[in-house]
Amino acid sequence: MKFRLERDVIADAVAWTARTLPTRPSMPMLAGLLIEATDQQLMLSSFDFEVSGRVLVNADVMEPGRVLVSGRLLADISRLLPAAPVTISVEGSRVEVTCGRSSFTLPTLPVDDYPSLPDMPGSSGTVPGSVFAHAVAQVAIAAGRDDTLPTLTGVRVEILDNTITLAATDRYRLAVREFPWTPANTSLDVQALVPARTLADTAKSLAGCDEVHLALAASGASDGLMGFEGDGRRTTTRLLDGEFPKYRALLPSESATTATVDTAALVEAVKRVSLVAERNTPVRLMFADGEVELRAGTGDEAQANESLECSVDGAAIEIAFNPQYLQDGLSALDDATTHLSFTTATRPAVLTGGSQASSPSYRYLLMPVRLSS
Amino acid sequence: MTNPAEDVFGELIGQDAVVAQLRAAAADAPAARAGQPSTAMTHAWLITGPPGSGRSTAALALATALVCPTGGCGTCEECMLVRHSSHADVEHVIPEGVDYLRAEADALMHSAALAPTRSLWHVFVLEDADRLTEVVGNSMLKSIEEPTPGTVWILCAPSAQDVLPTIRSRCRHVTLATPSTTAVAAGLVSSLGVDPAMASFAARASQGHIGRARALATDEAARLRRQDVLRIPLQLGDLGSCLALAADLVETVNADAAAMCDPLDAREDAALRAVYGDGAQGKGLGTVERRAKGAFKDMQERHKRRRRRVVRDQLDRAIVDLIGFYRDVLVIQLGAHTELVNAEMRPQIERVASASQPPETLLRVDALERTRNLLAANVPALLAFESLTVTLKDPSLASSGAVRRDRVTG
Ligand SMILES: [Zn+2]
Repeated sequence: MKFRLERDVIADAVAWTARTLPTRPSMPMLAGLLIEATDQQLMLSSFDFEVSGRVLVNADVMEPGRVLVSGRLLADISRLLPAAPVTISVEGSRVEVTCGRSSFTLPTLPVDDYPSLPDMPGSSGTVPGSVFAHAVAQVAIAAGRDDTLPTLTGVRVEILDNTITLAATDRYRLAVREFPWTPANTSLDVQALVPARTLADTAKSLAGCDEVHLALAASGASDGLMGFEGDGRRTTTRLLDGEFPKYRALLPSESATTATVDTAALVEAVKRVSLVAERNTPVRLMFADGEVELRAGTGDEAQANESLECSVDGAAIEIAFNPQYLQDGLSALDDATTHLSFTTATRPAVLTGGSQASSPSYRYLLMPVRLSS
Repeated sequence: MTNPAEDVFGELIGQDAVVAQLRAAAADAPAARAGQPSTAMTHAWLITGPPGSGRSTAALALATALVCPTGGCGTCEECMLVRHSSHADVEHVIPEGVDYLRAEADALMHSAALAPTRSLWHVFVLEDADRLTEVVGNSMLKSIEEPTPGTVWILCAPSAQDVLPTIRSRCRHVTLATPSTTAVAAGLVSSLGVDPAMASFAARASQGHIGRARALATDEAARLRRQDVLRIPLQLGDLGSCLALAADLVETVNADAAAMCDPLDAREDAALRAVYGDGAQGKGLGTVERRAKGAFKDMQERHKRRRRRVVRDQLDRAIVDLIGFYRDVLVIQLGAHTELVNAEMRPQIERVASASQPPETLLRVDALERTRNLLAANVPALLAFESLTVTLKDPSLASSGAVRRDRVTG
């Protein structure tokens, strides 16, 4: 095997593939990175039985071949390369990397037992990488992290014709985001539950792509995978199996009070108020008479008052939230103004972007903390 | 359909009833996965049986049969992947420590929620399910009771009583019998081509432990070690000789464990080094130890635990062999018409039998059982065996308990 390519191309490709290498591999060879050179193309792959990563780049291939090398080592080397064309060749059981005046030698690993990567599942369509990454980030923030409640560690993906809906909840909040996409064939109706951490990492790593292909097997097929591909980079991840909560029923259909407030001002106020209070103290918000008053703590101990201008419509309401969850929602909205709607102080509040109050594409539902007094 | 004689269940020796049950489960599995009610297939199994009866063989056979399109042919790609521990839908878990760790259970809960990717089922084989402690085990209950639709748990343990009741009650229990001497001997002849006389000796001497029978049938050193152990009852003399015999035994076992573990450790160390790029050259590269820091530490811990386990298994084997010897003594003393485990030592056994009475023999067997418990409680091996040899020499000391207490605490 022998090929040549630009430093930045190989460095990016290695960094992207090494991203998913397991840190504590269940089998040593899974810490390997597979290099395959064919017909002017170079393919790098990693796989740990849960997530696979594969990147395809153009290269000047002088001699095709296939080797497995230490992923961590190759990643370290690719960071040390000077800005010059890189030549990689196999000499016996060693790989030689030369780049300008630098040269490195890596041992090869036995490649025969390396597991074959899964194929991309059947149906697919496309969405701009930036749209996908933003939508996933907005939703993944609400996913649970407790593996004893595995279905809550996933993001529910629902594809119905031209619309994708993402949802995640850890029981304290629920984030739902809808966005359009371009399916390869119409009349699609599929659902899947994707591990949130993998989905978030993958979407972020493909954010720069003009188009990201999403691939999910039609309902009923048993290949249990979702695939993502953009600019020659492809990831598959195993799906979570199991029932995601029937979240649509949780979204309130009406409200008693609505409020609109400057997002940045509210975020800053929540930060300040919760900083001076004890950790994990709920932050209380009193919406009335054109302002929102913030206090941290409960009962008479409440302290650190602060008021903000706020347009309030409907009955006055006092409601308390976990400050971190409130801040998460406000940042995820990514909108200059925030629209909040309430039914009662014990029922969930819904946060939406002020600029899309009429038909929000993103909703962040937040359970209030019960006040003791 | 697969020829039953050559499929994955063929490796189980002397377990016809269990094989029939597991084959039926595998045959019914596709229908069960499609949502049809099934009596033969279920999502949580507990396979128990004495050491060496083939618990993990049975568990892996069922796992293979569930992911093989033809119920465990033993030759297709799926079957080969399981055999090489590289099937994406079969996870074989051996606890790293004395107990399952919380982190191991958490990782399992995550994996167990994942859908199968190339088969109908995602199968988890858990060895040593008796090492699931209450806290860790209970965190897994929900998944074992009501796993995600494609997940199957196959737990292995010496006996159902050793497993948390909460887990036990959620599993279908399959019990392996101690395979008969005839079945083990026949298995040795057919699978290893061992000479029938040797096979018969090994089957008898192993007392139904298949792995042990294989070793005795094929490994001269294992046979010699066993002979050394069985000579102990004949050589017990004054206190000094008892202590020396105990020291010899423990030393031999440690040396054997080293002989067995050193090459394995070295091979795994080399494989791990290779994977983290040992031998790489170039300016600015850190050392392999640094790249693989966590992985090396994990491996060394694993090696230590493996060695401890090998030592313990060998010591336990010595005790089993000695129990077999005194059982033979008792058979002679009582004039029972039972086949001797150590038929080739009949003259020596008769000598011991005529020099003592059955109650003493029973006390000696008690002392052996007690030693076993001491080892399980991590009492240092030398202390436990010194106490043992002294008691074997004069079993009347055991009833007072004096020797045991002195030696163990001293
Ligand atoms: Zn097969």
